[in-house]
Amino acid sequence: MANDSRTRTTRTALAALAALAAGSLALTACTGTDSDPGPGPGGKDAAVQQKAVPLGDEAASRGPAPEVPGASGGGTVRVHQDADYDHLDPAQIYTADGGLIASLYTRQLTTYTTDEKGRKVLVGDLATDSGTPSDGGRTWTFTLKDGIRFEDGTPITSADVRHTIERMYAPFVTDGPSYVQQWLSGDGTDYRKALPDGPYEGDHLPDDVLETPDGKTVVLHFRSPQPDAPFALAMPAYGVVPKAKDTREKYDAAPLSAGPYRIASFKPGRSMELVRNKHWDADTDPYRHQYVDGFDITFNHSDEDSTKRLLADTGEAETALSFTNGVDPLQTRKALGDPDARERLVQGYQPYVWQMNMNMDRIKDKRVRDAITHALPNRRILTLNGGAYAGEVAGGLLAPTVPGHEKDFDPYGKLAEPDGDPQRARKLLKQAGKEGMRLVYAYSNDEIRQRQSVVVADALEKAGFDVQRKELDAGTWYSQLRKVDNGYDIYMTSWAQDWPSASTVIPPLFDGTQIQDGASNYSHVDDEHVNSEIRRIGAITDPVKATKEWSRLHRYIVEEINPAAPISYTRQIQLHGSRIGGARYSDTLNYIDPTRLYVVKG
Amino acid sequence: MLRFLVRRTLGAAAVLLLISAFTFFLFFSIPQDPALLACGKNCTADAVALIHRNLGLDDPVPLQYAAFMTGIVTGREFAAGPCPAPCFGYSFANDRPVFETLADRFPTTASLTVGGAVVFLAVGLGAGMIAAARRGTATDKVVSSVSLVLSSMQIYFLGPVVLGVLVYGTGLLPSPSYVPLTEDPAGWFTGLLIPWCVMAVIFTANYTRMARSTLIEQLQEDHVRTARAKGMPGRTVFFRYAWRGSLIPIVTIFGMDLGSLFGGAMITEFTFGLAGLGRLAVDSVIDIDLPMIMGVMLFSSALILLCNIVVDAAYALIDPRVRLDAGSSA
Amino acid sequence: MNAPAGAAGTPEPFLSVRDLRVRFSTEDGTVHAVDGLSFGLERGRTLGVVGESGSGKSVTALALMGLHDRRTASVTGEVLLDGHELTGAPEKKLERLRGNRVAMVFQDPLTALSPYHTVGRQIAEPFVRHTGASRRQGRLRAVEMLGRVGIPQPARRVDDYPHQFSGGMRQRVVIAMALVCNPSLLIADEPTTALDVTVQAQILDLLGDLRQEFGSAVVLITHDLGVVAGTADDVLVMYAGRAVERGPVREVLRDPQHPYTRGLLDSVPRLSSDPEEPLVPIPGAPPSLLVPHPADGSRAPDGGGPLRGCPFLPRCAFSGRVEGGDRCRTERPVLPAGRGAACHLTERQRRTAFAEEARPRPGRP
Repeated sequence: MANDSRTRTTRTALAALAALAAGSLALTACTGTDSDPGPGPGGKDAAVQQKAVPLGDEAASRGPAPEVPGASGGGTVRVHQDADYDHLDPAQIYTADGGLIASLYTRQLTTYTTDEKGRKVLVGDLATDSGTPSDGGRTWTFTLKDGIRFEDGTPITSADVRHTIERMYAPFVTDGPSYVQQWLSGDGTDYRKALPDGPYEGDHLPDDVLETPDGKTVVLHFRSPQPDAPFALAMPAYGVVPKAKDTREKYDAAPLSAGPYRIASFKPGRSMELVRNKHWDADTDPYRHQYVDGFDITFNHSDEDSTKRLLADTGEAETALSFTNGVDPLQTRKALGDPDARERLVQGYQPYVWQMNMNMDRIKDKRVRDAITHALPNRRILTLNGGAYAGEVAGGLLAPTVPGHEKDFDPYGKLAEPDGDPQRARKLLKQAGKEGMRLVYAYSNDEIRQRQSVVVADALEKAGFDVQRKELDAGTWYSQLRKVDNGYDIYMTSWAQDWPSASTVIPPLFDGTQIQDGASNYSHVDDEHVNSEIRRIGAITDPVKATKEWSRLHRYIVEEINPAAPISYTRQIQLHGSRIGGARYSDTLNYIDPTRLYVVKG
Repeated sequence: MLRFLVRRTLGAAAVLLLISAFTFFLFFSIPQDPALLACGKNCTADAVALIHRNLGLDDPVPLQYAAFMTGIVTGREFAAGPCPAPCFGYSFANDRPVFETLADRFPTTASLTVGGAVVFLAVGLGAGMIAAARRGTATDKVVSSVSLVLSSMQIYFLGPVVLGVLVYGTGLLPSPSYVPLTEDPAGWFTGLLIPWCVMAVIFTANYTRMARSTLIEQLQEDHVRTARAKGMPGRTVFFRYAWRGSLIPIVTIFGMDLGSLFGGAMITEFTFGLAGLGRLAVDSVIDIDLPMIMGVMLFSSALILLCNIVVDAAYALIDPRVRLDAGSSA
Repeated sequence: MNAPAGAAGTPEPFLSVRDLRVRFSTEDGTVHAVDGLSFGLERGRTLGVVGESGSGKSVTALALMGLHDRRTASVTGEVLLDGHELTGAPEKKLERLRGNRVAMVFQDPLTALSPYHTVGRQIAEPFVRHTGASRRQGRLRAVEMLGRVGIPQPARRVDDYPHQFSGGMRQRVVIAMALVCNPSLLIADEPTTALDVTVQAQILDLLGDLRQEFGSAVVLITHDLGVVAGTADDVLVMYAGRAVERGPVREVLRDPQHPYTRGLLDSVPRLSSDPEEPLVPIPGAPPSLLVPHPADGSRAPDGGGPLRGCPFLPRCAFSGRVEGGDRCRTERPVLPAGRGAACHLTERQRRTAFAEEARPRPGRP
């Protein structure tokens, strides 16, 4: 969902620095949980995750969602959050925490259901099914369900869906994704020219782009086949906005709900209260429940604070959890060691893959890139990222949450040698005749990255490189790297899929036709085979087949090109109060799924 | 009195103008682009330019400054709608009127500082009085050494310890939180009790020491002896004469402490996860949120200046020798 | 001057002080500030207590009021006021007497009044407290008292603060405050020292008038014999914490018996004296009254004064005339009852000695 967690990480990291400057003890970084032999991440969930997500039919898209075993209605859940939400207007949501809260108050044309065995299906949410493609995948038709309403009771019509898409062309919408807009109207920011003011000055997209022949039907005419359209439309950014109640910029503060809960109050930086939306009809919703009466969200709870409260599990903490705070790394061991708390842990993979990008404009010899890959001490880097429970050493560049991920794929032996193989690296470097080669290594000036840089530089020096460290400002880190001529050799970045498909990982990272300032091909991979495969696979409409092909292309990229050394996959571990029922990790939301929660009667 | 108020208000306005100009131009001198924080995966040059335009960052800085400052007095029109005076603009980070957020956060900080001040004045001055009244005795020595120990404590150390014992450990008190006084007085009190006490600790010792020493000094004053010679009972002598004389230095120090009180509130807000102005100040800097930074700076500076004027006016109430309208207030 | 009829014939004087000792413990040792002082005072009479600074005058005054801090000062001996024992009396009892039957006027009117309260309030305060009057009555009484001490427009000035008065006016306020309850005993500690010479005379006249009006006994403490000459009935000369001479004011001034008293007289300017003629200060300084803690840390033996022999010996020009060699060094002279001086010189020796050493003093008989 979140592409990269830049905004959030930056903010958290800076907050920690500011707190330190103010003399506080709010440390986010940690030490000491390395090589913990505890119950680490298993591969079972990963095995489920790597299968292609099938498209659901009308039956799969019908509500209500199957009951959560043992669930009962009533009660209010207390939610401790760190930072508040940058945006509530769905169009502006592109972060995981925003997506999670949006799942309670917005609905899109499509969404995911996950059964008790963890099998995901993409189904119709507002639409009766996951959409009907035609014209070779260029055209997608969606029919809206009956009985879907906004919180004010007005029915949701195709005009609202049209408005939802068209308003994303307006200049004030800058933070959300632009897949659908680009597919409809033009690459880059060119799509905005199709509707410069959005729908607000009376202009609309022509029928050959977006068609609403009746109140129930929405037809999208893309410029090229887009087999992933139902996935893109499941992003929270495409959550429906009522045409009649759109207040443009101000909608961000008070969006209308189409989901099971509505926002009763929101005090930025302080609190938010969600209560039941009585106009939401469970029979129309295949995914969400409405067990609890509401959610009392308060902000400014650090991981340390929320973990302490939940570990204590006294008073109101019994019915509390945090949507997005992880277990404080310093308290992870305690949480795992306490049998009572251990039952209240929820964990799973997050979509981020940390990788050491190698600038292929500057490091043209694959043997040098391989040497770097072998030299890197993945485990020690991972440890500094937040300990053994924050992730696991990566062998490839597809996260376990991406269909096509292969658990045992490890061409550079990182799983066997998690601390690096300096001998092998040295040998490769010698073969390339580049011993003592100078490497400009850029990293951002946040505390964790600074500490990782020492470990990285040390390992590379041991392998025979002459490392020149270059510290960049954390706030502008990604925008500096996004310059084609950035002047650095290696830099560590993370990437996450936007939906469970390699199509949101491989093209943005490795499409050589997209190398330009501001683009995300950080390693500047420009390989003819890769480029043509991206076009070919992108047009495959069968998800299972496409997944197989993406997986093969991924192998090729890692083995034959090696543009980025895999570092680690990330995991999330969360805790909830003892009277919270139904808590389950969602790998589409990347956190605990809030729509299933119920309060156990005390 | 009127002349004093006019003179001080003009002075405060000048100070605020200086602070605002300094903050505004300092903001533009830092190499951080607020657009980049709001710019996600689609962070192309075009996208950045669009955000710049949306945030109104394309105009020359002095022009932006002038627009901002006039907005405070006259209000402004934004694409998002009218922003009535006092208009500090819309936040870059959450696109809401800054003043709305300030007004939302202010009660928390006000409750925190006023409550904390009440606690440390009551405890600090009380302990100082007891020590002074029993100077040289064991009580005095205990009070003095306890205050010395407490003065070396820090909020961010004491806060988690107190939380660990009273909240997480024994559950004696609820987790610190802010509930408006008007909604739930009891909740307001219990929710802020721990923050008040912890925040008060760092100030208390100072006031204990000061109250003790000025009181001892005052007790040796001739007029205090006169009062005793008139047959006034010890209590009357202590409060009506010695204590009254001690108020001036205490009020002076209190006036000087107002700034650090706000700083203390900021750390306290962070320690206990309370959403007040201090937290807002830090968040706005992290978010490179210019209107919010300006809003918080001006709002809190204005408050501190106002409190200083009140404190100076209080001199006149305490000490009849002070003439506010004279050239100097000695 | 005669004692009022009511007090005549009573065996006990109105104020009787016997063997008063005031000691302060300090870090260095014990200061014997007043060391066995005895005197008596009849109603309506004025006793001038004279001595250099450090002689124990003010300490005596505070001891009479019971104003010494009990934690640092030890006051022993007997102070009888109209038959009531004051030393060692409970604080509550003293509070009832202070400002009521015994009142005090302090040296420095600039500091003796609280700057934070109106003069009216400060004057009315003891009146309200001791007589149980209402605040309103207290205020009226304050206005009345301000008028009696000669402050113009008292009804208007009653609400002014001390800083709005001149020094002399402030001392009048202090006096008004002291007299507000018609005290039987007024202790005035250097009441004019801090004032201009012209104002001094006014204040002294005022005190004299008021004493007659109120019939109070007055203890007037001063270093200035000139002040005593015009005001007091009797004189007590103090030196190093003890009385060294006493007697009716005229006798003492005309015919001092102690070399110290004589020295004091020589250092007083007189209106009649030749302005060209230099005053003769007493050479040297008063002795220290500190008894250091013994080096071994033990307490100094009780009762032992700080000095052996005559404390004035180092500054005395006549000690050579004392018969018996070392008596001035070894034996502390005793002040006889009644008129007399604590000096080893005999009456005759003094006369001869003073006459021989006398400088011509114009205007003196």
